[in-house]
Amino acid sequence: MKARRRVVTALDRSGGRGPAWPAPPRKARPVPGLQSPVSRPRLSGSGEAVAAPVPSVPLDLSVDLGSGLFLRNPILVASGALGYGIEAEDDLAPERIGALVTRGTTLRGRTGNPTPRMARTPSGLLNAIGLHNPGLAAVLERFAEQWARWPLPVILNLAADNVGEFAEMARRLEGVPGIAGVELNLSCPNANRGGTLFALEADSAAAVTTAVRRATDLPLLVKLSPAAPDPRAVARAVADSGADAISAVNTLPGLVLAADRSRPALGLAYGGLSGPALRPIALRVVHEIATSVRIPVVAMGGVTTLSDVLDFLAVGAQAVAVGTAAIGDPGLPARLADELEDECQARGLSSHLSLIGTAQGHRPGNPSARGAEYRP
Amino acid sequence: MSTEPVVAELVERRVILPDQRIDAFHAPAIAVSARAGQVLQVLLADDEGLVVRRAFAINTVDPSTGVVSVHVAGPARADALAHLRVGDRAPLAGPFGRPFEVDPRTTHILLIAEGAAIGRLRLLADEALREGRQVTVLLGAQSARDVYPSTLLPDEVEYVVATVDGSLGHPGSVADLVPQYEAWADQTFAAGSPALLGKLAALSASRLTRMGVAKLGRRRAAAKVDPPGSPSARRKSFLQVVVELDVACAAATCLGCVVDGHAGLLRACREGPVFAATELSLETVA
Ligand SMILES: Cc1cc2nc3c(=O)[nH]c(=O)nc-3n(C[C@H](O)[C@H](O)[C@H](O)COP(=O)(O)OP(=O)(O)OC[C@H]3O[C@@H](n4cnc5c(N)ncnc54)[C@H](O)[C@@H]3O)c2cc1C
Ligand SMILES: Cc1cc2nc3c(=O)[nH]c(=O)nc-3n(C[C@H](O)[C@H](O)[C@H](O)COP(=O)(O)O)c2cc1C
Ligand code: FES
Repeated sequence: MKARRRVVTALDRSGGRGPAWPAPPRKARPVPGLQSPVSRPRLSGSGEAVAAPVPSVPLDLSVDLGSGLFLRNPILVASGALGYGIEAEDDLAPERIGALVTRGTTLRGRTGNPTPRMARTPSGLLNAIGLHNPGLAAVLERFAEQWARWPLPVILNLAADNVGEFAEMARRLEGVPGIAGVELNLSCPNANRGGTLFALEADSAAAVTTAVRRATDLPLLVKLSPAAPDPRAVARAVADSGADAISAVNTLPGLVLAADRSRPALGLAYGGLSGPALRPIALRVVHEIATSVRIPVVAMGGVTTLSDVLDFLAVGAQAVAVGTAAIGDPGLPARLADELEDECQARGLSSHLSLIGTAQGHRPGNPSARGAEYRP
Repeated sequence: MSTEPVVAELVERRVILPDQRIDAFHAPAIAVSARAGQVLQVLLADDEGLVVRRAFAINTVDPSTGVVSVHVAGPARADALAHLRVGDRAPLAGPFGRPFEVDPRTTHILLIAEGAAIGRLRLLADEALREGRQVTVLLGAQSARDVYPSTLLPDEVEYVVATVDGSLGHPGSVADLVPQYEAWADQTFAAGSPALLGKLAALSASRLTRMGVAKLGRRRAAAKVDPPGSPSARRKSFLQVVVELDVACAAATCLGCVVDGHAGLLRACREGPVFAATELSLETVA
């Protein structure tokens, strides 16, 4: 394997050139006037809202995702939520979040799925965007330079229907400024396996990871599916094949009907379920994965509040990403980062590390693949 | 572009038809800048704190009082604003999207709507009258019960109705009425089902031939093509339509709102929601 190099992001350059961004507002503002039960309790362990902060200790929320990818804090924007980031920069507060993962990008441009592409579900969203993107070359030409000046690491989400194309894309990123890492979307149909998703089978997932690892030294995140019968096996295979970190989870296939029940609501019929409706499943999968591998896990699935962030940390995630909830509220990831900071300070912690894995001690004897609900 | 919301009070609620009402908010920032065809978003949070944005066409504005109204339509169970009472405050964002563009030379404008979609065109009537233009509204509805009250339109507007069941006005589709006004109108603006928009696009495309008007002047080989979504593309077109694809982010990032255009996919929230009919593949939309 080639020597690992340190990835330069705007984060660790700031000493040299100074921030490219105007001085950040200290706190990301909440959505004004929104009456919502967002202050679901369970904070600070006790269930009480946190009162006046305890005398502050120097706080370090940074996260090391491997291969030199350091995040200033453990809150990311999940792939697909805010496109390539640049479009949403006014709302995003990029200087306050850990990293942005881009929309899924393919070697050649794709026009995506027929409309409608989104439908509402109880506490969630069903989407079938279909990897609508202009293709890797166009993306790099349009955005890479701006990303290089951005005050946050940008992780490029890659999608393909065969191993060779994944590797080819990774190769083309070598030396491109502005790319802090890659995330492989393995919830893509594998053309060589009759369209079975890479993420469903440990050997397919391992093959892609190995090929991409050979092609690039960039920090490599591999994104897994909650639909895998045994996420632990897939996670182990990916970790053994050179992934620096695992992202979990992607969406889960679902169906919503049109109001008159004459057809599916989405043009493609099925779509991926995301949002709070997905959260318990995501929590279970992250728990399974985090107890099976040693590499960091970036968790996502229905995060809308600090309480959800703490849940994912408690089952072993090193970092947490916000997807669906950031579509309607792009300032949310920055606010969650602020709230996590406040929470650590209120608990007198010097970092969030002691919040990680607190709920892992109570391990289930069997993986979920063996069935949970009917086990005697 | 920022999608940051402002807090606005619901100052009036007026039921105008079964399952249709006008909600008016005090939102001066939106009222002074909004133009016909643009939308605002109401931000809503569910029990889990998930913030979802709902788009509503801006129905009327009163910059002097800072009030902006939306025409809310649909069955009560799907009523996104049901939880609000007069006096409540809610976060609104906008205005978003590109507005209708009227050619400065236009004196006669024809507005064509189906049912509650009249709310997407209502503000254009005000704008056109203010600029000294003549306005005719053609409205299609299922039956007399569903016809938009004429009292909600300015007195100067000529208002013609078609009902599918024949209980009021012309029996049949609103599209049947269009040929009578084609010679009168300098520009037309439409909102309604994809089927209606498809029909109107076809009528518009064949208009000059049917009216026996020959295009005079030399044919320019490489006529300047206006980029999709540009104001000039709309200003020059005989028919402008407003499409209704849900606008989730309004920031052109989620790609949930795309519509088929001749030049590729267009985003309703960025290049639309108002388009020149000639920019879209309305046959496929229909
Ligand atoms: C340009 C435009 C103008 C409109 N004008 C009016 C009007 O004047 N009056 C009126 O009554 N209605 C209007 N609407 C429709 C209105 O905004 C609602 O979209 C409509 O009531 C349908 O809502 P629904 O939830 O039932 O639809 P659904 O089909 O269930 O909702 C689907 C859409 O919701 C969004 N969405 C759902 N869940 C999420 C989530 N978790 N996060 C982010 N986005 C999500 C997505 O955009 C998706 O496309 C307009 C819509 C548009 C696009
Ligand atoms: C509109 C939309 C687009 C998405 N696009 C991608 C994508 O291109 N690649 C990918 O790996 N995941 C994509 N996802 C999945 C999210 O990154 C995330 O894994 C999933 O939605 C669960 O998190 P959430 O509940 O916070 O949204 C998308 C999700 C949504 C809602
Ligand atoms: S509403 Fe998200 S891209 Fe248009």
